[in-house]
Amino acid sequence: MSSAKKTVNVGFFLARKFLTATLLGAFVWPSVAHAGVSQPTYPKSDLLLVTTVINATNPYMASWIQGSKDLAAKLGVPLEVVQSNGSSQTELAGIQAQAAKGKKIVLVMNPVAASNVPAVVQTINANGGYMVVWWNMPPGTEPKTSGDHFVAFGTYNGITAGECGAEHLVEALHGKGNIIALPGVLDSTVSQERYQGLLDTLKKNPDVKLLDTQPANWDQAIALRTTQQLIAKYRDKIDGVWTADDAMMLGAYQAFNQAGRLDKVKFSGEGAYPPVIDLMVKKAGNGAVVASAFHRGYMAAATGLLIGYKAAVGDIDVSKLTPEQRHGQYAIGCVTPENASQYQANGGIPAGWLDELIKNPFKDLVGGAVAHTAN
Amino acid sequence: MEENQSGRTRKMVATYAEIAILVFLIVLFSILNPTTFPTVANVNTILNTAAVPTIIGVGATFVVLMGRIDLSVEGIMGAAGLAYVLLSPNSRTSADWGFGAIVVAIALGAGLGLATALVHTRLKVPTFIVSLGMWYVGLGIAAVLFGQEMQPFLSDPNAPLWPTSAPLGVSNSYLVALGVVALGFLVERFTRLGRVPYAIGNNEGVALVTGIPVARYCIYAFAISGACSALAGVIASMSLGAGAANVGVGMVFFTLAAVVIGGTPLSGGKGGVLRTVVGVLVLSTLYNGLILSGVAPSLQSGVSGLVLVSAAIAAGWSQRNHLRVVK
Repeated sequence: MSSAKKTVNVGFFLARKFLTATLLGAFVWPSVAHAGVSQPTYPKSDLLLVTTVINATNPYMASWIQGSKDLAAKLGVPLEVVQSNGSSQTELAGIQAQAAKGKKIVLVMNPVAASNVPAVVQTINANGGYMVVWWNMPPGTEPKTSGDHFVAFGTYNGITAGECGAEHLVEALHGKGNIIALPGVLDSTVSQERYQGLLDTLKKNPDVKLLDTQPANWDQAIALRTTQQLIAKYRDKIDGVWTADDAMMLGAYQAFNQAGRLDKVKFSGEGAYPPVIDLMVKKAGNGAVVASAFHRGYMAAATGLLIGYKAAVGDIDVSKLTPEQRHGQYAIGCVTPENASQYQANGGIPAGWLDELIKNPFKDLVGGAVAHTAN
Repeated sequence: MEENQSGRTRKMVATYAEIAILVFLIVLFSILNPTTFPTVANVNTILNTAAVPTIIGVGATFVVLMGRIDLSVEGIMGAAGLAYVLLSPNSRTSADWGFGAIVVAIALGAGLGLATALVHTRLKVPTFIVSLGMWYVGLGIAAVLFGQEMQPFLSDPNAPLWPTSAPLGVSNSYLVALGVVALGFLVERFTRLGRVPYAIGNNEGVALVTGIPVARYCIYAFAISGACSALAGVIASMSLGAGAANVGVGMVFFTLAAVVIGGTPLSGGKGGVLRTVVGVLVLSTLYNGLILSGVAPSLQSGVSGLVLVSAAIAAGWSQRNHLRVVK
């Protein structure tokens, strides 16, 4: 009797243990779905992709949104776009609102300000989702020291980008002449890197003189106004215009067009906007535009979202990523009138690029953190 | 009426303070840059820079005279500028409304101004907050018009050349601005629409008691201001040769500062269109002169701010001992 009772009790105990284990298993199931990875993982249905843009009226941002949308459609995961209108607070509030919806967030972020990143890392840590940041990150913040949820930081080498424009500008001036420079904003790391690329090139070409540097806030209209003043100041002394971005280049281009000097001045930009590529193909203004570094918001956003997504579903193990994969620079091209026509179709994005990316999200990775050198 | 007359005389005298600031800047920058600043080409550059804020400033003056404020300038410029580009031959659409594109753009601006005034007068919401909201409504319209396609460029290669070309010696954009100023001045001096804002700005309570339909004049002033911002957006977009939502970037600060430096206080009741013209010229000369003088970019905004404060002190100097409330 007692033995039978004991058997029943043991059976009950085992059943209870099994039930508890099952319930516990069900509860923690997403975390152990991929035993091979160290970070918590989730089924696709629990995920929400979130992409942030500084505004939606800039060609780079429009391309960024498109890349996010195309990837989301390929993955079959819903996407939300957080538009910050240039405000750090709006950006943060938008991300927090998405995190509050109850899904695990996979975020790709182009921060309004580097200082926003730590607060967003905190939000994503609390949510349990994953994030990837492009372009801006405060000094001292690194994905590998911020835990597994901040998977990666990616950027393009601004120095290389600045050199692309500067070297072709120098070449177009046959190594001699006067140029003006329009960086973005004074305190932007990206702008500073590109400007350093210009200065490095000028050091090697002392006969090209930098007459003036006026930041134009990444803005076409401000670049137009500023360049008008510089034309008044230097009149026909200006032979070339280096800009840290194509929007500003288009503003400067228009100012020289209005001054009737387009065919006597050479321009370089950054970002290879489709209209700028068209100007190069057409060789407008006696081949006025000589170079622009190529990268796309489309590629950055899709790459970032995919890295975050693969961490979330357990396709990659965050703890096993290399230092370059966690903080790296991605490939950029240099568009010139000679190769511009190759970049015209599909915004310059090679056919099948997204499918290739899905096989390897780090396919365009070319190196680790950008090394800064003092000027 | 006599009170009003003597007030006007005082205003005329005070105008010289703003002109003195302008002359001081011109002399200073001419000494610093004798070969580049005092040239015909540079004067045209300054006037061309001044054109857009002058047009906006005329409309803004009517609003500020009534003690109201219109912050929607940049949003309206973006919306109207994009409407103009998309209705003109451009790289994205096949529309060609000709001059009608400008009319639609201006009507859009006037409509947004009207909406600001209606919310303000009917629902009693301060213009500061309504027009701030309308700024973003305008930017929102611009964002929708911009879409996520490629930036629209004007197809006519001569369009971007028109604002800066100067067949009559002065750039076309500034001639348009002078036309708007002349119209604004005529309205201000010879019509009831021009006189009533002074009465409202001086003492709105009295104006209401004497039967002045304050709300109606608010609506007129904001519609004028919206139309002026829209025209400015058209000229700025034409100059850019492209549609850009942020074509008006920086113009709220520039224009309101010019209105105040010119001598139309934010409390309203005094000032006028011609004073704003001088205020805009002060700021345009400063912007140009700082670049020509080689002032480091990192110092330019600080110096601009200091000059703005100094100019505002100078503009209000003659009034400093009067018993009045300054908010």
